Amino acid sequence: MATAVIMPRQGQSVETCIITKWFKNMGDTISAGEILFSYETDKAAFDLESPADGILLDRFYEEGAEVPVLVNVAVIGIKGEDISSFGKAGEAIEAVKAVKDVEAVEAVKDAEVKKVTDIVSEPSIDSGSGRKVRISPRAKKIAHEKGISYSQIKGSGPHGRVLASDIEKVLSGAAAIGKPVSKTGAEFSEQPLSNVRKLIARAMHASLQNSAQLTHHMSADVRRLLEARQKIKNLLTTDRKQQDITLNDMICWCVIRALEKFPEANSHFLDDRIKTFSNVHLGIAVDTPRGLMVPAVKNATDMDLVTLSRELKSVADACKKGSISPELIQSTSASFTVSNLGNYGVEIFTPVINLPQVAILGVCTIINRPASLGNGVFGFIPYIGLSLTYDHRAIDGGPATLFLKEIKEQIEHFSY
Amino acid sequence: MPKSQNINPKVVRKPKFIEFGKIPVNQYNKTIEEEKKNFGKEDFIRIYHDMVVIREFETMLNLIKTTNEYNGIPYNHPGPAHLSIGQEASAVGMAYNLGIDDYIFGSHRSHGEILAKGLSAIHRLDEDALYNIMKNYFGGSALKVVEKGFSGTTKELAKNFLLYGALAEIFARENGFNKGLGGSMHAFFTPFGIYPNNAIVGGSGDISVGAALYKKINRKPGIVVCNIGDASMGCGPVWEGICFATMDQFKTLWSGEYKGGLPLIFNFMNNLYGMGGQTMGETMGYDILARVGAGVNPESMHSERVDGYNPLAVIDAFRRKKKLLGEKQGPVLLDTLTYRISGHSPSDASSYRSKEEIEAWQQEDSILSYGNSLIAAGIAKKEMLEEITSETKELLSQILKLSIDDNLSPRLDLVRDPDCIGRMMFSNTPADKMEDRTPEVLMPIEENPRVKSIKTKERFYRDKDGKPVSKAKLFQFRDAIFEAIIDRFYKDPTLAAWGEENRDWGGAFAVYRGLTEALPYHRLFNSPISEGAIVGTAIGYGMCGGRVIAEIMYCDFLGRSGDEVFNQLPKWQAMSGNIIKMPVVLRVSVGSKYGAQHSQDWTALTAHIPGLKVVFPATPYDAKGLMNTALQGTDPVVFFESQRLYDTGEMFHEGGVPEGYYEIPLGEPDIKRKGTDITILTIGATLYPVIKVAETLQEKYGLSTEVIDARSLVPFNYEPVIESVKKTGKILLASDASARGSFLKEMAQTITELAFDHLDAPPVVVGSRNWITPAYEMEEYFFPQPDWILDAINEKVIPLKGHRPLTDWSTEKSIKLNREGV
Repeated sequence: MATAVIMPRQGQSVETCIITKWFKNMGDTISAGEILFSYETDKAAFDLESPADGILLDRFYEEGAEVPVLVNVAVIGIKGEDISSFGKAGEAIEAVKAVKDVEAVEAVKDAEVKKVTDIVSEPSIDSGSGRKVRISPRAKKIAHEKGISYSQIKGSGPHGRVLASDIEKVLSGAAAIGKPVSKTGAEFSEQPLSNVRKLIARAMHASLQNSAQLTHHMSADVRRLLEARQKIKNLLTTDRKQQDITLNDMICWCVIRALEKFPEANSHFLDDRIKTFSNVHLGIAVDTPRGLMVPAVKNATDMDLVTLSRELKSVADACKKGSISPELIQSTSASFTVSNLGNYGVEIFTPVINLPQVAILGVCTIINRPASLGNGVFGFIPYIGLSLTYDHRAIDGGPATLFLKEIKEQIEHFSY
Repeated sequence: MPKSQNINPKVVRKPKFIEFGKIPVNQYNKTIEEEKKNFGKEDFIRIYHDMVVIREFETMLNLIKTTNEYNGIPYNHPGPAHLSIGQEASAVGMAYNLGIDDYIFGSHRSHGEILAKGLSAIHRLDEDALYNIMKNYFGGSALKVVEKGFSGTTKELAKNFLLYGALAEIFARENGFNKGLGGSMHAFFTPFGIYPNNAIVGGSGDISVGAALYKKINRKPGIVVCNIGDASMGCGPVWEGICFATMDQFKTLWSGEYKGGLPLIFNFMNNLYGMGGQTMGETMGYDILARVGAGVNPESMHSERVDGYNPLAVIDAFRRKKKLLGEKQGPVLLDTLTYRISGHSPSDASSYRSKEEIEAWQQEDSILSYGNSLIAAGIAKKEMLEEITSETKELLSQILKLSIDDNLSPRLDLVRDPDCIGRMMFSNTPADKMEDRTPEVLMPIEENPRVKSIKTKERFYRDKDGKPVSKAKLFQFRDAIFEAIIDRFYKDPTLAAWGEENRDWGGAFAVYRGLTEALPYHRLFNSPISEGAIVGTAIGYGMCGGRVIAEIMYCDFLGRSGDEVFNQLPKWQAMSGNIIKMPVVLRVSVGSKYGAQHSQDWTALTAHIPGLKVVFPATPYDAKGLMNTALQGTDPVVFFESQRLYDTGEMFHEGGVPEGYYEIPLGEPDIKRKGTDITILTIGATLYPVIKVAETLQEKYGLSTEVIDARSLVPFNYEPVIESVKKTGKILLASDASARGSFLKEMAQTITELAFDHLDAPPVVVGSRNWITPAYEMEEYFFPQPDWILDAINEKVIPLKGHRPLTDWSTEKSIKLNREGV
């Protein structure tokens, strides 16, 4: 096998070298360590020693040529050996390209690192309009502490600088948020992001960026659940309790039971430790006109189904009305979240974890599936789809599957 | 301007000629035989010995600098070494008659003088006294090194100690005489009467006058010798020092035992060159330096040229001159003619003088010719003299080894103790008085007319009924300073004050009115219009152990004392390794109304220089408290006073200015008005327009302003300011100094750094324009006005609703002005 001789890279900043002298002609015999050629950089001159014994089979560059570093300059091998695989110019370009690619990748990495930093420190350029947001350090500090996005706040300071008092006004409700400027063209319309949208965007993006999440799907037979629901509804009606128990309430109830058995799913992953909750604080995804919100029902473990149902309804209504306590919609409020898209006919999906929670259950639509009813009889059984996304940093696949299976068991053997 | 001396026009207008007496030039002509009655054999030999020690010490340094080796011992000394090879006879002759009470001051080329004075002191001191000095100096650290394995006499040990202490100092070692912080050009050792050498040419020219004043005012024994070079005759501080030292008042107005001239010799070590400039023939016009004395006073300063190549001629001159000083006939000017064989420094290629000239002087070499004359007179044998040389070489080799041994002679450990030099910048040792004896005063303090008058004044600016007190009845800012100062004059016997118009007139701004009646001349006197010497003499007085208040009448004249304020006053405490204290208060009055050269606030210049404490009170209460603290301390304090404020009363301190003694710590700012929305930090008199601004902000814009008066610049406690900024988020800084490079800019930067996250706007500086100060009638366009401050707040901090700005504080304007340099 022939040996390629490459132009070495003499220092980080060197990109090309000039061959100043060849000591061997094509066909000459050469031993390892013998000087093959001399070359120079802009700073110094060097000799290149042959890396191998053999015959100089080819020289790709002549004296005086400026050669990119790390490309093939010559080939040493046995007489008559096929050296067609050692391209000259073409390969050289490839090599240079490869080097450049590495650099490009590194540049991209740098840029990414920078991007992440930017996200952390909140960009002061509003990406929508390119408008520079002027904000005082004091105002910025308060905004960060209170979790307020300031890019839409109209600053009352010199040259529109956002001052601490502007943030305080937003906090007190007397918002100085500027009217969103809508741009409408023939082919598009542009709307600046609302604050809720921005919070969602940041949280969802951060979740996917910063955790190792994947989703398992399973289905549960809901016949027993549907029967039970009817019974309970009847019971409630006779008791004159005007309360509808939804299928979702019942699934949440089952989830809480499963979480009691799998407390590792009822946790927060906090980088260097895992915080496991003794009670279940159940988050529930709620669609509101302003966007997705996930309020928490605190201390749900000890609630009976009716109470749970009432509480779930209460927080969802509060979200829709905008009267929800800000504390309850922080992702740290809930220890586990359920997101139900069954009503919309979604058959399967991959919910995104609300960090630092370690898992989220997506509840899908009910599909009647053919199944054995026993005794050789086949029929259609209603199955509800369950999609569990979990953070692999916190939970391994085995326990996650067992946890999902436990939910399925709770649903299939629902007893209340 | 004493009324006791009338200047009679009939006398001063009379025609006559000034007659100059003869000034002796090289008149010494005694033979060794004739001198045998003045010197014993041992004395003759000792003179030779001391000269050889100096020659060899300097030769050693020269070899180390040029070959990195002496006697086979390798060493690299990167620092300075201004050698005096050739000048040994002058140094030894100068020191021969001096005791440890006689102080010498030097120049950058004073290794020889240190050694000569040290050897002379060792000869004079008894062994117990010597040992105690060595044992007590920096806890005996240098003694331990030379004492280990030493078996000679205490005097021999002291010689080793002297050579080691000097060399270790030159090599910046902690065992050096000044912990290595003085170095070659500043080394000194006060227990032997060796006071600071000075790397600024002529730097000792006025400091030594202060030392002589200290001896005179405090009746201390001994004389002062100011060893400076011939070229320093061209330096302002030297000339100012000479004028100060020869004031008529010492002989005409000072009374009793204080009457008479200063015990001071200006000894010009005249080696005929100022670095490369030839003073005789090129850069000066005196022909013979001694001539200058004739222009100074009727005694021609007893001036004389002495042959500094003959140690006996120099000894003879010093013996005669010392006697004159004892008779209070001083000061004296000596032109000690010598020649430097070595270069100015080892890098000197002697491009300014011929080889022939150097050779001619080498042929007359003082050690060679003096040695030969001793041999000729049968006092010494050649072998004996050679033995002195070889013994000296051997001794210096040993001392060199000790000095460069990093274990025995380490440098200050700035890794383990990074702040050790910082701790030496100030002495921070408060003291009621610098010496314990009864202060000399002319009357009991209660009988002083001003003290009596002040008793009737209102000490707050409003009376009991809240009505403003009239100026005539008001206890004013000037009274507050006076109270602190007269109190200290009655406590500290060493306290003296001088400056222009201090006596009789009572200071240009009447701060000292009443002190003339209280104090004898030697405690309060008028100086020549010599700001350099006013400060320089205060430095010399302070470093010898006296407390002093010097006064610069206008801040604008501070430039006249630039070297003293920037290079001398702040440096000597740390450069001495904290041996020296500097209890000097420099009062500086900041003017207005008098245009471009009488209205500048230069606080930033003094605050910039490490080693000075700087205060600028704005109220009578603060002025008295801060002056008390300044006078209680032992550090140099530059005490700024605004001429706008001398007649103001106390507006802030509840109950007015206390009659008794109280101190306000230096460095503590004071909240003059509490507020919550914006902070304004002021320095000096700008406090008052800012109070108006605070009122406007409250009334018109509903903004509550916290006004903080800095009071001090150095040191400065930022904590109260940061606390205020945490509350308000906004700060503006204002003073009368031209904004560019002002201390406000320093403060603004520091506040930004310390409180960045709490700032709702950048700290904004409002100072004076970067112009000349125009005439009084146009001052409102130069000094910060309340409107400017409101405009700046509106433009840069927070828009004021409905405010109509009168001045332009925009970014564009700022860039434009900076670009134009105004």
